[in-house]
Amino acid sequence: MASIYESPKTRINTSMLSQYISRPVCFVGRLQKLHPSGKSFTLLDGENNAASVELNDPVNEELSGIVEVIGMVSNKATVMASAYTAYREDKEKPFDLELYNESLKIIHDFPQYYPFEVSASG
Amino acid sequence: MSVKLTEGAIEAFTKGSEVPPNPLLQVVNVRKIDGGSGPARFRLMMSDGLYTMSSFMLSTSLNGMAEQNTMAPNCICLVKKNVTNTLKDGRRVVIILDMEVVKSAEEVGEKIGEPTPYVEGQSKTTAPPAPVAQPLQPRNMSDAPGNRGPSRDFGRKAMPNLPSTPGGASKVVPIASLNPYQSKWTIRARITNKSGIRTWSNSRGDGKLFSMEIVDETGEIRVTAFNQEVDKFFSLIEAGKVYYISKGTLKIANKQYTSVKNDYEMTMNGETTVIPCDDAQDVPMVQCDFVSIADLETRDKDAILDVIGVCKSVDEVSKITTKNNREVSKRAINLMDASGKMVTVTLWGDEAEKFDGSGQPVLAIKGARLSDFGGRSLSALFSSTVMINPDIPEAYKLRGWYDKEGHALDGQSVTEMKGGGGGGGGNSNWKMLSDVKSEHLGHGEKADYFSAVATIVYLRKENCLYQACPTQDCNKKVVDQHNGMFRCEKCDREFPNFKYRLILSANIADCGDNQWVTCFQESAEAILGQDADYLGKLRESSEASFDEVFQQANFNTYNFRIRVKLETYNDESRIKGTVMDVHPVDHREYSRRLISSIRKLEAQ
Repeated sequence: MASIYESPKTRINTSMLSQYISRPVCFVGRLQKLHPSGKSFTLLDGENNAASVELNDPVNEELSGIVEVIGMVSNKATVMASAYTAYREDKEKPFDLELYNESLKIIHDFPQYYPFEVSASG
Repeated sequence: MSVKLTEGAIEAFTKGSEVPPNPLLQVVNVRKIDGGSGPARFRLMMSDGLYTMSSFMLSTSLNGMAEQNTMAPNCICLVKKNVTNTLKDGRRVVIILDMEVVKSAEEVGEKIGEPTPYVEGQSKTTAPPAPVAQPLQPRNMSDAPGNRGPSRDFGRKAMPNLPSTPGGASKVVPIASLNPYQSKWTIRARITNKSGIRTWSNSRGDGKLFSMEIVDETGEIRVTAFNQEVDKFFSLIEAGKVYYISKGTLKIANKQYTSVKNDYEMTMNGETTVIPCDDAQDVPMVQCDFVSIADLETRDKDAILDVIGVCKSVDEVSKITTKNNREVSKRAINLMDASGKMVTVTLWGDEAEKFDGSGQPVLAIKGARLSDFGGRSLSALFSSTVMINPDIPEAYKLRGWYDKEGHALDGQSVTEMKGGGGGGGGNSNWKMLSDVKSEHLGHGEKADYFSAVATIVYLRKENCLYQACPTQDCNKKVVDQHNGMFRCEKCDREFPNFKYRLILSANIADCGDNQWVTCFQESAEAILGQDADYLGKLRESSEASFDEVFQQANFNTYNFRIRVKLETYNDESRIKGTVMDVHPVDHREYSRRLISSIRKLEAQ
């Protein structure tokens, strides 16, 4: 399989994880809990459902707020992260996770108009 | 007969002493008094089983009861609200403001007891042998206000328990009892709305007037003052305060111009007196009958009604020129109430200019006119009262609701329901640029306005600045006299200086189409990010930096508010677009609108 960076990564929320097992995804959520080992954390999506993210290398920086993860979905419906990034905090215009979730549903409801976002990876 | 009348009530009414609350009385007789040009009034003789009194007047709002015969002789009524009015000879008239028939005439079938007219000083001590086991007192009668002609009442004088007038000229009467046939009265009322002074000038001369609306516990009435009375009273009278007002001229109200619920209106005359009243706690504030915004759709066009809502958003004030060439300020605001619906209300003139929508105040408007322009919208009229955060229970209730849940609602507007698929509430009329052509916007009689999210793709540098008259409010282009002076034709003056003004042609585009638009001063400054004066100097000093400003301004995306109108020059017609307003895109709001548009399309 091609590197995850080269294939389209479908944006999903927690409820869609199980449909994307073994496929590359992009998950955006609010950091809920970072495991003491630094090798996993949980993110809350726009519907307040938690998803687990597992890392190969422990997080070596402070992580908070909205985090975007790309990775493959494991059999246990967790995200095996290849990369992650924390969004810049903007006090005046905070990232609207609920609105993001609504947009995400649009992408999935109308795959004909968003072919790259939803098409199954190769 | 199981019904017990409130014995003693008639005596109390007659004497002006305290009447038991909500007395139960029997109607003995109903007499209709034709009111000339006004509505008919009904005069009742009532009995408490002991005495009768014939000077009960039915408030005109209750006329239906008599007309439909629900209230016929022998029926038993619960008097819920009344006012006693003492005539100058001491006789009393009881105006019944609210009453309920508890037992119909058929059910009762007969007169209860053997009541006799009450004569003061006498009192029945024995209970009549009637089914009623209580002593009766006669009622006396006095002439009711609605009554015309000499009274033939036999009531005795008794002291009024109403507040007496300062100066004691005449007794305080309720507004509900005012009529054109009595001239000596005093009312105690609160000014709920006071207009500014208006002047007129016609073939018969000039004049001025102001009007106000006043209210007491029984009702409201509109009062107008002309010329001398304007000079005399305008500065004295303050909205919100309570005054004793006596001796005005009453005439039939012209309902076309007012929402005040009274068959009459008052004109102040030379004899009218107005005296401030200090003890006025009990006089009610404005009386409003609020219509839910969701219900506006069921009301008739041009209806005059009261609304209350939270001011969700406010447009900028703008100026329009009326048919008779007067320039008027207007401002549209969006009100939302607990029905979750919004409506656009237009404020005019001073009200529009001074209105401050920051902090989303609660706005109550009494007497707004409903229009069917763009779905349903409201217009505050000259006669409307606009109250910001009024001290009334409805306002607090609404504030509580809004702070708790209402603020999160998007609110569907009853204004501009047409042209679906636009999405989003408010007065925005969102369009794609391709819609402008496909829907032939601007081809109509009037200019069309729309909003669009679009990106600047080209700005025409040439002729974007001109030298304008430095006089404030005059933006006429000046002619360079080439002697260091600049001439303004409009002001007919020469100046040693001028100011730069912008008139910028821009091409804007969205995903479907593009459109040439003209941006004047403020919108051009917003797009270029520099003020006109600076740009003018920059052009003189450094052409390169000037160009740089235009380069920087390219490819920025904005919310545009655009006016389009078909204009014809030299037999060539084309749509002219003018930018009224330009704002940075609020991406959250924009996304929400797109999502809701998509969902609406999906539902179709």
